[in-house]
Formats: sequence, structure tokens, C-alpha cells
Amino acid sequence: MKPTETIASETVEALEARAPFRFPREMVVGLVVLAVAWEIVSMLVPPFVVPGWGRIFKSLGTLRMDFVLVTLARVAGALVISFALGLGLAVAMYASVSVERYGRPIVRLLMAVPVVCWILFAVLWFKWVEFRIAFVLVVVCAPVFLVDVLDAMKGVSKDLRDMLRSFRPTRAQLFTKLVLPATVPAILTSWKINLSLAIRVVTIAELVGAVTGIGYGLVVAQELFSVADVFAWTLILVVILFVAEAVLTRVEERVLRWRA
Amino acid sequence: MISAGTIEVQALRKVFHQTGTGEAVVAIERLDFVVAQGEIVAIVGQTGCGKSTFLNLVIGLDRPTEGRIAIGGRVPYDEFDHFRGVLAAVFQQDRLLPWRTAIDNVRLPLELLGQEPRDQVERARAWLDRLGLARFERAYPHELSGGMRQRVALARAFVIEPALLLADEAFGHLDEVTAAALRTAFVDLARTAGNTAILVTHQLEEAIEMGGRILVFGRPGKLLADIDLKTWPGGAVASLRAEIQRMLRGNTPEPRLTIRTEKEFRA
Ligand SMILES: Nc1ncnc2c1ncn2[C@@H]1O[C@H](COP(=O)(O)OP(=O)(O)OP(=O)(O)O)[C@@H](O)[C@H]1O
Ligand SMILES: [Mg+2]
Repeated sequence: MKPTETIASETVEALEARAPFRFPREMVVGLVVLAVAWEIVSMLVPPFVVPGWGRIFKSLGTLRMDFVLVTLARVAGALVISFALGLGLAVAMYASVSVERYGRPIVRLLMAVPVVCWILFAVLWFKWVEFRIAFVLVVVCAPVFLVDVLDAMKGVSKDLRDMLRSFRPTRAQLFTKLVLPATVPAILTSWKINLSLAIRVVTIAELVGAVTGIGYGLVVAQELFSVADVFAWTLILVVILFVAEAVLTRVEERVLRWRA
Repeated sequence: MISAGTIEVQALRKVFHQTGTGEAVVAIERLDFVVAQGEIVAIVGQTGCGKSTFLNLVIGLDRPTEGRIAIGGRVPYDEFDHFRGVLAAVFQQDRLLPWRTAIDNVRLPLELLGQEPRDQVERARAWLDRLGLARFERAYPHELSGGMRQRVALARAFVIEPALLLADEAFGHLDEVTAAALRTAFVDLARTAGNTAILVTHQLEEAIEMGGRILVFGRPGKLLADIDLKTWPGGAVASLRAEIQRMLRGNTPEPRLTIRTEKEFRA
């Protein structure tokens, strides 16, 4: 066996020891209990208040699944734009103290505005529906990226900075070799936060004149007084969120395997 | 022309202002001495006497309040970029980048110098090998012991073959055997390469074992003695040790031991 292989296999073992696959028994039991309780309640009250699982699944089959894709595309697009914007502004504020001094209060102000107000502004200011939705999502998500990433950049240890500076890096090198990689954990965390934020906000944003997407599906369900449809959409949203979070957690484990 | 590894310290003074109170803290009162090219110097002194502050001034991370420090005739703080590839430091904590493997940590300074990736790997590997870490190239810092990490940090300093090597209590928190081995490696490598080296320590034994020149710092940052161990016969070292300890306790200069003064150097 070559020495380097020893290390590689030790590393893999260490990884596995850290995150062994374990059947999530408690989670499954908890969810099953909830589902059974739901079914019992549905038998006691009229179906237009709490529909049973049979009705919910039947209505799942009738929903426009392309709406799911449309909503996901909107979320993905808006998150990419938000990230680019947030990272760009974070870099600018990191590079210049005065940009940060002027920028911070503005960002804090933006973050204090309730989502509903942004939706109303979007309706009042813009005609194009896609733009309204993107506007709301970006204005909500970009500041989160900005603040989290900037704080992480500023938190880079002085010891490491001094070490690197002793080798005389250019400004660009200091950034790409130290600041950016040190910020990666914070970037991943802010993606997690924003993903769940965006999925919850997008449906409200889609209420403002969209004729596609899960938000629109919810409006239609409400107009038809179809409680089962509303529940079916809700179920889909929750599943999407769970899956997305699971995917990001996997990515995190891969990218941050250097962490003890 | 002053050679690249000569360090001149003249009337050096450093005062900090505490962030909270604004109160002035004198870290270095006054230092005057010269370190010649290729010389290996140990600096000893009690905690808080300004040893790390002094090294930061040498590296150019901080600016002196008064006086001057020059390496090869140039001022490290003012002519910061001139010292690309000229100096390297090993700190008390290894300061490895946790997201880089051992070999990628050692490569780092070569990357900053813009060397060919192939050369980077080759040279980094050679140094890891010399420090007995060939098997651990691909390990991340958290997978290495403290002593191994410090060796990676040593390799990272040596890989650019700097004219000036600095170590700030680099071996202080290791066990005696490991510390002695690494210190020997440090001194040998510096000696064979003809580098100037400054090794800061608060352990007198460490300084004496190096067998070269010892600068004794008092508090706050002043020279108590400048000793050349080579002029001390083996038997006298025990008395020297006691003398230095007394001096450190009393915080008073000992002109009898200061056999290398600035004037002598200039003459
Ligand atoms: N950035 C700073 N701001 C304010 N005071 C500082 C700063 N750096 C060092 N000092 C002060 O300067 C003095 C010398 O500190 P320094 O770290 O140089 O000591 P040292 O000799 O390296 O000590 P040790 O052996 O414990 O490492 C201390 O009183 C310390 O409080
Ligand atoms: Mg110190």
C-alpha cells in the first residue's frame, strides 16, 4: 500500500465516522403519527375543512405539475441574481470602508421592510409580472447574502491575514487565496437560509397577477373552494423545501470536508 | 550595497493605543542593534516584553512609532512589496489554511509568487519530504498532530528559500523532544542556506541550545544584553544561564554581557 493511499482511506473513514447513515426513525415515526392524527381529524370534521389523505392525493393527480417547474425556475433565477448582487456588493463594501458606512444603513432599512410592502410596491411600480416576482425575491434575498457574506469576510482571522501578508500577496491574491475560501461556509449557510426564504416568499409574490406557478395554483384552489388542492400544493412546497435542504446539506458535506 | 539579509534596528520604538481606553502602551521602549547577513539570532525575554511586536515590525505588518528598521537597507513597512519572496515567518500557532491540504499549504507562497504549478508541487513535495511528511501530503490540517502542523508551517516558510527567516515561539507548545528536533531542523536549514534567521522564544534553554547569538529583551522592549555564545566556553554556559535569569528577573541591562554593541558592529 502506498503511503498516500493510507491517508486517503483514513480521510474517507473519518468522513464516514462523522456522518454515518442512520435510518431517521424518530422523524418517520413523528411524521406518521401526524399523518394518522390528520386522518382521524378529517373523519370528524367536514372534508372542506380538513380533507383526508385520499382526497389530498386525488387532488395531487389533478394539479398542473408544470407550475412546480415554473415556480422552481423563478426561485432559482432570483437566487442566482440575488447571490451575484449580494456577493458583488459585499466585495465592494469589504474593499471600501466608506462604501460600507453608506451602504450598511440602507441595507438594514431594506431588510426592515415587510415582504407584503415589497409586493405592493412591485405591483405599483412594475407592469411585467415576471419582473415583479423577481424584484420581490431579489429584494428579500440579496440583503441576506450581502450581510452574511460581508460579516464572514470581515471575520477572517487576523492571524491568517498576517501570515498571508508576510508573503506579500496582491490585493486580488489576498482575496482569492484567503478571504473568499474562508467565506465559503458562510456562503453555503446563506444559501440554505435564502432557499427556504425564497420558497416561502415566491408563492406570495406569485399572487400578484401571475397566471402560472404554485402561487397562482393556490389562488385558483381558493377560488374553487378546494381545500384538498390547497393542501396538495402545501405538501408539494414542503417536499420541495425538504429536498432542496437535503441537497444543500450534501453539497456542504462535500465542500467542507476539510472541517474537523 | 547592504546584503539582503542584514537587519538594522535604530532607536526603534513602538507605542500602542488601547482600543477601549485610548491609553498608551509602550511595547518597545528602544532597540538598537544590527543583525548581519547569515547570522542566526535568538531573542529571549519575558512575556509581554515586545518580542512579537518586534517581529511584526520586521515583517512590515506594523509601523514603528519612532526610529527605523531596515532589511537590506529597505524599510519593510514602507516598501512592503519589495519583500516578496525575501522573508518568511513561522508563528506560534501554525496558521495553516484549514481548507488546504498539507501540500497545498506549502505551495501557497509559491502560488503568490506566480510560479509554474508543476514547480510548485515539486518544491512543496521536496520540503514536506525533508521534514518527514511525505506520507501526509494530502492530509488536511485537522488530520495532523500539532507537531506535524508546525512542520508543515516550517516547510511553507522554507519553500521560498527566503533571505530572512523568522520564528515566533514556533516550537514553544510542543513536547521537548519534538521541539528540539524542529528547532535543530530550523537552524540547520537556515545555516545551510546561508539565511539570516531570528528565533523568538521565552525559553532560555531553547536560545542556549541554538549556540549562536542571544539578544535578551527587557520590559518594555529594550536590550538587556547581546551575547555571542561562541565566545563562551562550554563550562561557562551554566553561569551564563544563571546570569541571564538574574538579569531577566531584575529587568536591568548587563553591560558585561553586551559584547556586541552597535558601535562595535559599525567599527
Ligand atoms: N495590537 C496591539 N494593541 C495594543 N497593545 C498591544 C498590541 N500588540 C501588543 N500590545 C502590547 O504590547 C506589549 C508587548 O506585546 P507582545 O505581544 O509583543 O509581547 P511578547 O513579548 O510577544 O509576549 P509573549 O511572550 O507573551 O508572546 C504587551 O503589553 C501588549 O499588551
Ligand atoms: Mg509573542
